[in-house]
Amino acid sequence: MSSKWTSRIIIGITLTFLIGPFLIIILAGLSAGDFMTFPPDGISLKWYLKVFTVESFRASFALSMFLAVFGTIAALILGIPAAYAISRYDIPYAETIKTIVAAPIIVPGIIVGLALLRYLVVPLGFTVTLALFLAHTALVLPYAVRVVSSSLNNLRGDMEEAAVLLGCSRIGAFMRVVLPNIQSGVLAAFILGFVTSFNQVPVSLFLSGPGVRTLPIDMLSYMEMTYDPSVAALSALLAFLSVIIVFVAEKFLGFSRYV
Amino acid sequence: MSNAFVSLQKLSLAYGSNIVVPELDLDIVEGELIALLGPSGCGKTTTMRAIAGLMAPQSGRIYIDGIDMTRMPANKRGIGLVFQSYALFPHLTTFENAAFGLRLKKLPQAEITQIVERGLRAVGLDRLADRKPAEMSGGQQQRLSLARSLVMQPKVLLLDEPLSNLDARLRLEMRAELQRVQKETGITMVFVTHDQSEALALADRIVLMNNGIIEQIGTPDELYGAPKTKFAADFFGFENIFEVEGNTIKGAAQSLPLGFESTSKYLAWRPGAIDVGVGNFSGIVRGSAFAGEQREYIIESKIGQVHAATPAADPSYKIGEEIVFDFPQDHSLPLAR
Ligand SMILES: Nc1ncnc2c1ncn2[C@@H]1O[C@H](COP(=O)(O)OP(=O)(O)OP(=O)(O)O)[C@@H](O)[C@H]1O
Ligand SMILES: [Mg+2]
Repeated sequence: MSSKWTSRIIIGITLTFLIGPFLIIILAGLSAGDFMTFPPDGISLKWYLKVFTVESFRASFALSMFLAVFGTIAALILGIPAAYAISRYDIPYAETIKTIVAAPIIVPGIIVGLALLRYLVVPLGFTVTLALFLAHTALVLPYAVRVVSSSLNNLRGDMEEAAVLLGCSRIGAFMRVVLPNIQSGVLAAFILGFVTSFNQVPVSLFLSGPGVRTLPIDMLSYMEMTYDPSVAALSALLAFLSVIIVFVAEKFLGFSRYV
Repeated sequence: MSNAFVSLQKLSLAYGSNIVVPELDLDIVEGELIALLGPSGCGKTTTMRAIAGLMAPQSGRIYIDGIDMTRMPANKRGIGLVFQSYALFPHLTTFENAAFGLRLKKLPQAEITQIVERGLRAVGLDRLADRKPAEMSGGQQQRLSLARSLVMQPKVLLLDEPLSNLDARLRLEMRAELQRVQKETGITMVFVTHDQSEALALADRIVLMNNGIIEQIGTPDELYGAPKTKFAADFFGFENIFEVEGNTIKGAAQSLPLGFESTSKYLAWRPGAIDVGVGNFSGIVRGSAFAGEQREYIIESKIGQVHAATPAADPSYKIGEEIVFDFPQDHSLPLAR
C-alpha cells in the first residue's frame, strides 16, 4: 500500500505544480475586481472580454501570429532540405553543421537577442520587424531540422532510388515520395515551431521597438502600467489555444512521436 | 564483344577507400537470364547498383545496347531494379505504386489502367490493388516491387534477391513466373541470389562472385559439373577438397598415399562420391545426419575432416565409431587453384 500511495502523492504534487498555476491564472482572470488577486474578487467575464478591446494587444497579437506563422514556414523551407541533406548524403562535417544549427537554442536567448540588436539592427539598419522575423526563423530552425530529421530517419533511402529508376529526377523523387511520407513530421515541426515562436520572450525583448512588440512583450509592459486581471485573462486564453493546438496535433498526427 | 547487350568493362567499384569490386568484366547477351551468385558481402548488390546508375564507378565502362551508360543519370538509363528491401512507396496503394513510372511518362489514364491491371494480374495482386504496402505480406510486397519494374518494360531488369522472402511453395511459383515473364518479354534479366539451387534452376548462365571477383562464368551444367576453382567447387557441393602431389594426398597434419596418380594441384569430391566401408583411409565418425535419401557423415581422419554420404538403405555408422573409406579416382574433380 505504501508504494502505491507514495506514487499517488508524487503524481498529485507534480500535477499541482503543473496545473496549479494555470488554474490560478484562469480564476484570477475571472475576477470582478480591478486588480489581479487570488482568490478572485467575485466572478465576471469582463476581463476576458476586455482583452479583445485593448488596441496594443491586437497589434502585438497580429505581430506574434505573423512571426510564428511565417518564421516557422521560413525555418521549414530552410530546415527540410538541410535535414534531408544531412540524413541522405555523406556531408563533410555533418555533426558540426548539426551543432551550429542547434546553436540558437543552446545559446541563451538574451545573448542571441543582444547579438542581433548589436550587429543587425543598429549597424545595418534592419527594421525591428525584419530582425524579429530573422530571429524567430533562426530560433525555430533547430526544431524544424530535428523533427524533420527524425521522420526522415524512419524512412528508408532506397525509396528515392526506386523513384529515380522509375524516371524521377532527384528533386522529383523528393517531392513525390519523400515529402508525402514525412508530411506528419513536417506538420509536427510546424506546430512545435509555432508554439516556440509564439512564446518566445528573451530574444524578442531586445528587438522590440516603439510600436513593434510581440504579444508576450506587450503583456509584460502592459503589466508594468496596469495591474488589472486582463493579462491573466489573456494568458488563460493563450494557454487554451496552445492546449487545443497540441491536443488536435496529438489526436491527428501522433505528435508526441516526434518531440 | 559485338553481341553483348550489357557489357561491363574493367569496372571498379568502391565505397570511399574501401574497394569492393577491383576490376570486373562481364558480357551479357540480349534476352539472357543471368544469376549473380556469391556469398554475403561479395559485392552483388554493389555491382547491381553500378549497372543501374545509383553508384558511380571509380573507373571502367558500362555499355548497354551499344550505348556508353557510364555517365548516364540513373533515371535516363531505362533499367529496372527490384530492391532487396522492395523500396515500395508507403503512401501509395498497390495500383499507384505500380503506376508510378507510367504516370511520369505521362501516358493516358486508360492506358495506365490497362497496363497496371495486366501487370498486377501477372503477379497475382490484382485483388489487392487498393491496399497500401504496410497492409501486405512480405511476399506480396516483393511481387508488387517486381510488377512496378516490369510494367516499365525496362531494357534490363535487375533483381536483388527477388525470391528471398517467399515461402517454399510461393518461391517455386514465382521462379516459374519469373522464367515465364522473362521468356515472354525477352527482357534481359540479372538476378542476385546466394542460393545455388535457385541459380541452377533459373539461370541461362551463372556468374559466381567471390570478394568482388568473378570466380567463374558458365551455364548451370558447367558450374555444377565442372567448377574450375576451389571456391567454385566448394560452392557447388564438392565439400572435400585436398591438395595432392603425385600419388599422395596432403592433409593439414599428415600426407597419405592416394590409390592413384594425379597431375593437378587439388582434387575434390562430393560427399556422395566418397567410398565408405572399404578403402585405405580410416577415421572416427564425428557427426551423422539423416537427410532422407541419404545419410551424411562428418569423419575425422588423419588428413582432416571428410564429408561422406551413403544411401539411406546402407548400414549406418554411429558417432564415435571407426569408419574406413577411400577417395575414388573416378568422380574426382581436378582443380588448378
Ligand atoms: N554504403 C556502404 N558503405 C560502405 N561499405 C558498403 C556499403 N554498402 C556495402 N558495403 C560493403 O561492400 C561490400 C559488398 O556489399 P554488397 O552489399 O554489394 O554485398 P552483397 O553481395 O550484396 O551481400 P548480401 O548477399 O549480403 O546482400 C560489403 O563488404 C559491404 O560491407
Ligand atoms: Mg545484397
